[in-house]
Amino acid sequence: MRNSIIRFLLLMQGLVLSPLLFAQTTVSGKVTDANSNPISGASVVVTSTATGTVTDAEGKFSIQVPANRKQLTISFAGFQTQTITIGNQTDLQIKMQEDVGKLDEVVVTGWASSVKRTNLANAVASVSARDLTGTVVQPTIDAALYGKFTGANISANSGAPGGGISVKLRGITSLVANSQPLFIVDGVFYDNSAIPAGLNSVSKAAGQGSNSNQDNPSNRIADIDPEDIDRIEILKGASAAAIYGSRAAAGVVIITTKRGKSGKTKVELSHTIGLQMQLRKLGQRSWDATKVQAAYGATGVSIYNANGGREFNYEDELYGNKGLMNTTRVAISGGNDKTSYYAGITRKDDEGIVKGTGYQKTSVRMNLDQKVSRFLDIGLNSNYVESQADRGFFNNDNTSTTLGISFVSTPSWVNLYPDANGNFPNNPLAPSNFIQTRDLITNREKINRFLLGASGTLKIFSNDMHDVKVVLRGGLDYYTLNTIAIFPRELQFQKDGNGTNGASIYGTTIARNSNYNAFLLYNLNLTDKMSFRTQAGFTGENVELDNVLNTATQLIGTQTNLSQAGSIQVDEARTKQKDRGFFVQEEFNFNDIIIATAGLRGDKSSRNGDADKMYYYPKASAAFNIHQLGSWSLAQISQLKLRVAYGQSGNFAPFGAIYSPLVRAGFNGSTGSLIGTTRGNEFLGPERQKELEAGFDLGILRNKLTLEFTYYNKQVEDILLNVVVPTSSGFSTAWKNVGTIENKGIEIGLNAIPVNSASWKWTTRTNFWKNNAKVTKLLVPAFNTGAFGATLGTYRIEEGKSPTQLVGIGSPDQKPDPATGLVVFGNAEPDFQMSFTNTVNWKKLELSVLMHWKQGGENINLSTLLSDIFGTSPDFDKKSLDPTGQKGNGDFRLAALGTTAKPWIEDASYFRVREIGLNYTLPKSLFKNIATVKLGFSGRNLINVFDYFSYDPEVSNFGANAISSNVEVTPFPSSKSVHFNISVTF
Amino acid sequence: MKLQYISSVKFKLMLPLMVLLWMASCKVEPILDPNNPSAGGITQNASLGEIQNLVDGTESGMRDNLGNYFDGVCVIGREYYRYSTSDPRFTSDLLGKGTAVLDNNTFYTTNPFAARYRVIKNTNILIEALQNTKAAITDAQRKASIAYAKTIQAYQLLLVFNQQYNNGIRVDVKDPDNLGPFLNKDQSVDAILALLNEANTDLKGSAAAFPFKSTLFGNDANTFSKFNRALAARVAVYKKDWTTAATALNESFLDLNGDLNAGSYHLFSITGGDQLNPMFFPLNASGETRVVQPSFITNAEAGDNRLSKVSLRTSAAFQDGLTSNYDFYLYKTNVDRIPIIRNEELILIYAETKIQQNQLTDARTAINRIRNAAGLGNYGGVLTQAALIDEMLKQRRYSLFGEGHRWIDMRRYDRLAQLPIDRAGDDVWAEFPRPANE
Repeated sequence: MRNSIIRFLLLMQGLVLSPLLFAQTTVSGKVTDANSNPISGASVVVTSTATGTVTDAEGKFSIQVPANRKQLTISFAGFQTQTITIGNQTDLQIKMQEDVGKLDEVVVTGWASSVKRTNLANAVASVSARDLTGTVVQPTIDAALYGKFTGANISANSGAPGGGISVKLRGITSLVANSQPLFIVDGVFYDNSAIPAGLNSVSKAAGQGSNSNQDNPSNRIADIDPEDIDRIEILKGASAAAIYGSRAAAGVVIITTKRGKSGKTKVELSHTIGLQMQLRKLGQRSWDATKVQAAYGATGVSIYNANGGREFNYEDELYGNKGLMNTTRVAISGGNDKTSYYAGITRKDDEGIVKGTGYQKTSVRMNLDQKVSRFLDIGLNSNYVESQADRGFFNNDNTSTTLGISFVSTPSWVNLYPDANGNFPNNPLAPSNFIQTRDLITNREKINRFLLGASGTLKIFSNDMHDVKVVLRGGLDYYTLNTIAIFPRELQFQKDGNGTNGASIYGTTIARNSNYNAFLLYNLNLTDKMSFRTQAGFTGENVELDNVLNTATQLIGTQTNLSQAGSIQVDEARTKQKDRGFFVQEEFNFNDIIIATAGLRGDKSSRNGDADKMYYYPKASAAFNIHQLGSWSLAQISQLKLRVAYGQSGNFAPFGAIYSPLVRAGFNGSTGSLIGTTRGNEFLGPERQKELEAGFDLGILRNKLTLEFTYYNKQVEDILLNVVVPTSSGFSTAWKNVGTIENKGIEIGLNAIPVNSASWKWTTRTNFWKNNAKVTKLLVPAFNTGAFGATLGTYRIEEGKSPTQLVGIGSPDQKPDPATGLVVFGNAEPDFQMSFTNTVNWKKLELSVLMHWKQGGENINLSTLLSDIFGTSPDFDKKSLDPTGQKGNGDFRLAALGTTAKPWIEDASYFRVREIGLNYTLPKSLFKNIATVKLGFSGRNLINVFDYFSYDPEVSNFGANAISSNVEVTPFPSSKSVHFNISVTF
Repeated sequence: MKLQYISSVKFKLMLPLMVLLWMASCKVEPILDPNNPSAGGITQNASLGEIQNLVDGTESGMRDNLGNYFDGVCVIGREYYRYSTSDPRFTSDLLGKGTAVLDNNTFYTTNPFAARYRVIKNTNILIEALQNTKAAITDAQRKASIAYAKTIQAYQLLLVFNQQYNNGIRVDVKDPDNLGPFLNKDQSVDAILALLNEANTDLKGSAAAFPFKSTLFGNDANTFSKFNRALAARVAVYKKDWTTAATALNESFLDLNGDLNAGSYHLFSITGGDQLNPMFFPLNASGETRVVQPSFITNAEAGDNRLSKVSLRTSAAFQDGLTSNYDFYLYKTNVDRIPIIRNEELILIYAETKIQQNQLTDARTAINRIRNAAGLGNYGGVLTQAALIDEMLKQRRYSLFGEGHRWIDMRRYDRLAQLPIDRAGDDVWAEFPRPANE
């Protein structure tokens, strides 16, 4: 016994000390790009070991290499990884080749897995920090994603400060359930709720024609600071995202934030100042007494004459603010071989294009990595965000009170300006005075958000053949959102019996998302050529959200305190969810020629009717690198990979769909419980998506030109709907899985470096993507949904048709369907989208341009309808629509009201220069080689080409709903902006 | 070969640790609805408080869509017109204007139908809750309470039947996944009566107090039995079972000399969350209003104080080719109670039963009781069954005006053709279509 212990200790000592017993040599060198510019931060590793270092600011490194090792592997993001043989050299000069197709970049593909892009069997999109924020300062992360990868339909819901965007990956993944991707930040599930501020009690937008909330809040993904992001991976469909199980049907966006690197402390200071203005002005109708008489009769004429026929430029008054934008940023990173850290602080203060609106945010991030011992690494992330968005009061209403509706319903000859004492006149022709409303109301979202994440990697065992690790991870996302909407009682629509004598609406939402997971990772290098990677783990997520909305009306004086009110109503909505799952995955790699993966995810959730039932989501994929075959002889073709992937994922029903609640029924001074009209489905399961994806990657001329082609076929089965049932059951509707939607599409990416000389370099990327969605099965009769009914255009879900088709009533010559009287006037889905990214470098000057072209896809534009009804359309008198040339455009469109919905369904194609930036890096010598100073001019949305007759074809009155986006009702107009940036790094 | 061990011990410890964690995390318990009480939860073990909530919810739900119900039966029964600027179908579909017919997927058909079955669902939940509750109630109380729920079910089915008539109704609706068949007309009315009788066996003579408070008719089994029997008398009359009707009347709260308004009512209040009387509109309103079919005034005997149920308008109300000078004024405020069944109807049912059983003097006594109360002299007509039926129907028309009886009375005496036609081409419907979703 004693003997064996001693033997064991000796063995252990021998093993631990063994590396020291071998002789070592010191190798140093310099890493540069093709033009001999030093690359700092490149990773230099002794091949097949864990020994490594990174290059310093001059690109230099020095490393101890055991005598039995002969190779170094050098890698850096954006460059092709190189393995070089040391031989007898001790001072190496390493030139890195630009990795145009990003073939060598390591792509995060799951909980604990990352794969080199060359070995990837899916078309996973990656967006680097440079792509994200390198060109232009980004107001919010959601706005930063447009046009930067294929397969996404990203659309801003409005131009209101603070974000609010809909991201749909590879078509329509649901009709009523969640359609937005799952966001994961450094392994922490990031809540992306959009929580209404209760404006509906004033706007009454829901209830007449549409029950949907139209408060247009921002999505909470806006809280993350884009500057902190190192990279984003987008898993677009089930074939890539299956490992995320029941929450992944709409795709997964994996965000990795910046981390420190060992080496010299790097300090980055930057300030950006910008100006934003209305993206497009429409102008206003010009009037004369005859037109006033025709539109507003004698009442109008007397007002018109009383003001001496003066016309006010209300478009400028309301939308003409030049919003000043300031972003200040400090980032410090660094570390040694044991500890590295990254700290980022951003302060942003943007003014909106409508007076009184704006967005302010402070974000503080601290990421820390520590090698606790040789076998334990830990990582910590923390982020605190405080933000405030003042979003104005826009979109649809049924009370003519929003700024947008009031603006279109007020002709420019009505004087709405206050008198010398600041007293606003009542709007004689509409229920509200939008200047008064703008100046007096508040619609604010305030957030305090903490994000904490921790991970630990335990290296259990490692040798040349085996490598076993355990990764433990946990995270918490916690925020408090306060929504403050104040409508003082002196507003025209609140006083004198026109409203509720003021309203103070105060909402508090407390959201708590936590998740934890543990994985076992096992790499087995069976031979030099054959390796297996095994992953197994479990995951758990808890979601709690509590929203309390207090609506106080009959306010006392100018008080906004909730207790200073004559009437108060409280509403509360709580969400609670608990998910538990596991996954296993096996990856086989044969000499980087064949990479095959198979995996299985199992998921349980309290959101399902049977909480403890396990739902399984399998996946399998294979990549075949033909160019790696020994017999490959086509020198020009440097890469040819065929890939195919299949996977499944799920999507939960809207919260509450499994419950048959008893609702409150007041009676006789007491409160009763009465069964609700919607029957929950206690057997409800998730929607299930099955996706098959196949494609090839081609690299030509040492990968100077690369092409990625992907085709996918995505079937979403068990689509959930709240369907009508026989009411003798006691219920009117019930939740059921009733249909299948198919999405087919292609995605093409082409990268090239056409020019790369000592002083000139041009890199270019062109993306093309298109998607076709179709309802292939529907167990309920076809039905209209979304928007405001068939008279004005609506969506229609019909078997064999696109779920995003836009239909409406049609005149006889438009040949309406005899059974329904409906005509298909368009489709919200674009025909295709393209984006072009070009970067041209000349010495220290860099010009980057991102262009985005969306072809096709229609909107229902009801801003036009409303402005026609009130005679305020800018083109009201123009005669460009009537084929007979008789009627002005306004009268022509109005004549169609009730006959056909065609005039309001408009092509929403656009071409825009989303980002343009010119950067100049000042010579380092100017600053005694201490600091790098960069100056930049940039602009967002500076060039816009579209025929769509409103401020911006990118709009959604109904927020990020699965169906019923692409509807416009007097939104907050979009803006364009210019920025000047100065950054100092030392 | 180089090896790096942490320690094999640690490695071995890890595995069971992970398994342990895995086991701990594996089971997912269902989460109850955090926002509302759930039907599933309340049926398992309801507290007395929760049972009271179900009772209140039921009695509240009984009022849902009463406005549409009454508008449906009273407009077709030509008692009043329902004018609405926002919906022309009250004056077109309900009166059969031109080619208009009753639609099987429009609110006047579907909403009252759904509202009644919703209450039935709620009472089924109440019954299940009562069966399973562990609260301290006696067996007699449990039985009496279930009988209370069944009585309400029968009444709700009766209201559905009143509109569906020849189409019949679904009686067995306990299992929403497995709804019972539509019974034919006679089976339907039999089933309603059977349900009332079944309930009454646990009510009649039982001293048990309900373990909750009801506003319908007393809070103990035996008192409530009198309400149950009153409904049974009405149903028996509908099926022309005069003997049963007579027996039921005897056990009901019928009081020939008592207060005509004694009975069971729906209550309303202005309290937040409560409902207002949907049958009330301010006088002389335009747009949304109910105005009286003119023959109600012209056919009235002079001095009939029941004309206080209408009010002369300051100006005539026109819509869709219809005219009236009188507002419907049965309810004077927006919180007036709406009768479910009251003594005046029971006296008239008594009269009807006596006529049909050929006990004409008794019938005349009852009719005179009603006439005198209305400020009219005794019945002076001949003492024949036929004449008395005419008189009884006339008294029902005026006594129960706007309470949803006229159309049903004319229908059961095959007299729909005698209802006044206001516009050429108007129709009098015999029943509503079966809702499309059924």
